[in-house]
Amino acid sequence: MEAVVNVLTNPYYIQVVTMMGIFLIAALGLHVITGVTGQFSFGHAAFLSIGAYCSALMTIHLHTPFILNMLAGGLMAALWGVLLGFPSLRLTGDYLGITTLGFGEIVRVVFINMKITGGAGGLGGIPRETNIVIVYIVVALTIWGLYRIQNSRFGRALAAIREDEIAAESMGINPLLYKIKGFALGTFFAGISGSLFAHMMQYLNPADFGFARSFEILNYVVLGGLGSIPGAILGTAVLSLAPEFLRFVQEYRMLIYGALMVLMMIFRPHGLLGGIDFARLYKKIKNKRKSVENKNTESI
Amino acid sequence: MKKNRYLLVLVALLALALTAVGCGGSKETPKAADGDTIKIGFLGGLTGGHAHYGIETLKGMQMAVDDINSAGGVNGKKLEIVQGDHGSNSSEAANVTQKLITQKVSAIVGDPTTGITKSAAQICQPAKVVLLSAGAVGPGVVEIGDYIYRDTLLDAVAAPAVTSYLSEELKWKKVALVTTTGLSYSEGLTSIFKPALAKYGMEIVAEQSIMEKDTNFSAQVTALSQKQFDGVVFTGYYTEGALFMKEMRKQGLNQVMAGGDGLLGKELYELGENAVQGSMVYAGFAVDTQNAAGKTKEFIEKYRAKNNNALPDMFPAQGYDAVMLLADAMRAADSSDPTVFKDKLAQTKDWQGVTGTITFDEKREPIKSPVYLQEVKGQAFVVKAVIPITQ
Amino acid sequence: MFWQQFLQQFWQQLVNGVTLGSTYALIALGYTMVYGIIQLINFAHGEVYMIGAFTGLILVTVYKVNFMVAILAAMLVCVPLAILIERVAYRPLRRSTRLAPLISALGVSIFLQTLVTLIKGGPNPLAFPQVIQDTVYVLGPVRFSTVQVIILVMASLLMVFLQFTVKYTRIGKAMRATSEDYETASLMGINVNRVVSFTFAVGAALAGAGGVLVGMYFNSIHPFMGVTVGLKSFCAAVLGGIGSIPGAMLGGIFLGIAEVMGVAAGFDTYKEAIAFGLLILVLLFKPTGLLGLPIQRKV
Repeated sequence: MEAVVNVLTNPYYIQVVTMMGIFLIAALGLHVITGVTGQFSFGHAAFLSIGAYCSALMTIHLHTPFILNMLAGGLMAALWGVLLGFPSLRLTGDYLGITTLGFGEIVRVVFINMKITGGAGGLGGIPRETNIVIVYIVVALTIWGLYRIQNSRFGRALAAIREDEIAAESMGINPLLYKIKGFALGTFFAGISGSLFAHMMQYLNPADFGFARSFEILNYVVLGGLGSIPGAILGTAVLSLAPEFLRFVQEYRMLIYGALMVLMMIFRPHGLLGGIDFARLYKKIKNKRKSVENKNTESI
Repeated sequence: MKKNRYLLVLVALLALALTAVGCGGSKETPKAADGDTIKIGFLGGLTGGHAHYGIETLKGMQMAVDDINSAGGVNGKKLEIVQGDHGSNSSEAANVTQKLITQKVSAIVGDPTTGITKSAAQICQPAKVVLLSAGAVGPGVVEIGDYIYRDTLLDAVAAPAVTSYLSEELKWKKVALVTTTGLSYSEGLTSIFKPALAKYGMEIVAEQSIMEKDTNFSAQVTALSQKQFDGVVFTGYYTEGALFMKEMRKQGLNQVMAGGDGLLGKELYELGENAVQGSMVYAGFAVDTQNAAGKTKEFIEKYRAKNNNALPDMFPAQGYDAVMLLADAMRAADSSDPTVFKDKLAQTKDWQGVTGTITFDEKREPIKSPVYLQEVKGQAFVVKAVIPITQ
Repeated sequence: MFWQQFLQQFWQQLVNGVTLGSTYALIALGYTMVYGIIQLINFAHGEVYMIGAFTGLILVTVYKVNFMVAILAAMLVCVPLAILIERVAYRPLRRSTRLAPLISALGVSIFLQTLVTLIKGGPNPLAFPQVIQDTVYVLGPVRFSTVQVIILVMASLLMVFLQFTVKYTRIGKAMRATSEDYETASLMGINVNRVVSFTFAVGAALAGAGGVLVGMYFNSIHPFMGVTVGLKSFCAAVLGGIGSIPGAMLGGIFLGIAEVMGVAAGFDTYKEAIAFGLLILVLLFKPTGLLGLPIQRKV
């Protein structure tokens, strides 16, 4: 019992689990864009940084309450998502991917050159507002919200676009409009995640939001299982905790990570839980139990 | 076939889980009871982009710990280093710092880079653990709180002294200033050099900026070739510095450059070869083979004995001094409790280390003397001048 | 006076830009050919280029060979490497989702970077020694260094050779047919797997040569050098129109000039963004790139 309490109050574990929650929100945002709508985004970290800087600057200069700043960070990221989405979501597949990648790099370079963000020296002096409770309340709200959206008319329209854009269009769905809405939703969550990150680290540096970070979040979503909320959760949990566990192999860590990415794709190209949502996951477990029970009765 | 695949995935996952569990288990093994040793954390990159700084700093720290322990330890206790490698990644550094704190370190000898030091400081200050950075030179570090220190030669102290030397001894009148944008170290140094150059009546005839990891400077050098100047003040790191000078020689420009300790590294002359001969670099520590004496001489000899006769650069020396400074503060306070000995640390005055004397001023910023100005000669840095700092 | 100075700078920067651009072009060709045939962004291509550079370095420092030999050897090392990467990481995924091979490519890229870092013992850059006497030729307002001349000549030769292979040989014809329509080509009796392997091999050979040339030009190589150069070269390929071989050459040189001119014009702090900014602009107005064919929407 004492051991359990120790683990629960250990600041290191709390730190690691909080960070995981923050990145989970970002991954869920990307899940909407890539998993549900089927659009490539290789610049997700840029939206994190927009949300992070926006909310941090508001906290420092305007002293507005944190909840407000967090929402503002999310909305600012979504605004830029729409601004980028309008022209570029007409592009498809890889072209869209590479445009978002380019946008990500441009945002990073702009932050390096801006005075108010502290440039390359980074932005310090952000008060700590984030804690594990807030993060997991936001995580719960995000999952609940996404679950509701995915099973709504809007969510089904997004999924229809992913499955076949032309067929969706002939069913009366305006793909561009829906894609932009989906993109805005995804980038909103990225912005929220960035705001939480800023008020957790208390120090921001543009170097933390390069394309390596974007691909890391993409990995969470893809390896976990595209189009699946449990998949995004599993992917984020495994991959964001892996570096902590693999610290003992130090320099071989990235070697294993790279090889694992290749192997995962070859043996499980849809990720660990590709296309599985909560309802199906539940059903699957239930069915399995049933079939086991059936087998048992048969044997009797 | 299909079954086989699932089996493979399962095995792979199991292997990962096992390594995770195995590691988790070993982490929990309790070290010697808290009373017997004083733990000092090392925060730095042993892997990743800045691995050299981390590895060398750790070597110096280990030497200091060995010296202290063989002399009986501090307040009757032995010192012990707890390593934290963050792979030169700042969001991972936050996790590692937190981990060191939960392992009950009394102090952390911090990262040599300013950015990571700042994010670690945000965690150490509220946790009431002393963070002594052996290398951070940028602004806004010790302002974070009274548990945050550094033992480096600050550019704000050194750059004006070097500028006066360039002006008075070398008679430079016109300079070209080259900054690595996107690198806080370089931008900070440039902002210190500018007023210093103006103060000593030197004119900046051209300003160019380059990017870190960039390898092509032909455009910037072509722009410089239109101007007349006595030398280049270069505020970036050695890789870019060496390549920049090579490009200058290629385009027929023969001026030398002067810069901060970011240029200090054997890579400068390995990469720069003939192009960097005569270029000058200042630092808080240098191996002055002729004039080194006392503690410094002893340190150099010990380092060489342990490292195949290689000469130490400033990172092991700073790491060594950091541990020694902490040990002396703990002795003075007769306690290894950071809330107690941090006040003694702040009172450090004219403390003699292997890198020179250190005084913490009223803002807890270090004032270090002297500044070593070194020149590239052949395949080595040779001390050109030792410039004392007058407070 | 001002005008004269400006012009002199302009010509010099143009030469620098074309030199830089032709190295981008060499790498962009690999991206464009692979994309043309199997619609994959081969993110590991930048790492092939990096390994080419390291092979060249080992050969000139340890075995003291002539730089031409080093270039050839680097090409010979990169070819089997790329074929192996394709076999292991891409071929099993050819009928998979669009994202799977991309992630796999990223995995290969991370793997190779780390592997080279480990073997080399750290991420610090290594000096690439001066392999040839670098003299400067003055031609009117412009200064050429020997290395620049070598890069321009080598790059042109390789590109002409490539163009010849694709246009006039049997395998070149097969490549064009496969890129036109993968399914139909295989129905016509073309061994598409062989064609894909060949495409990877040719791209890798060019990247390997590019790696050694860049090492000679900038005198410094490191394990992560393939990342930004790779991304920028991919931008160049898209700029020129992905799938188009002349497009990749044009895009590479265009990007090189734009970068050098951008720096000269004072946008040096935005250098890393120039390539991507251009890319977004071109994609918005002509989504298929400068020389690309219109995208067909298949129902």
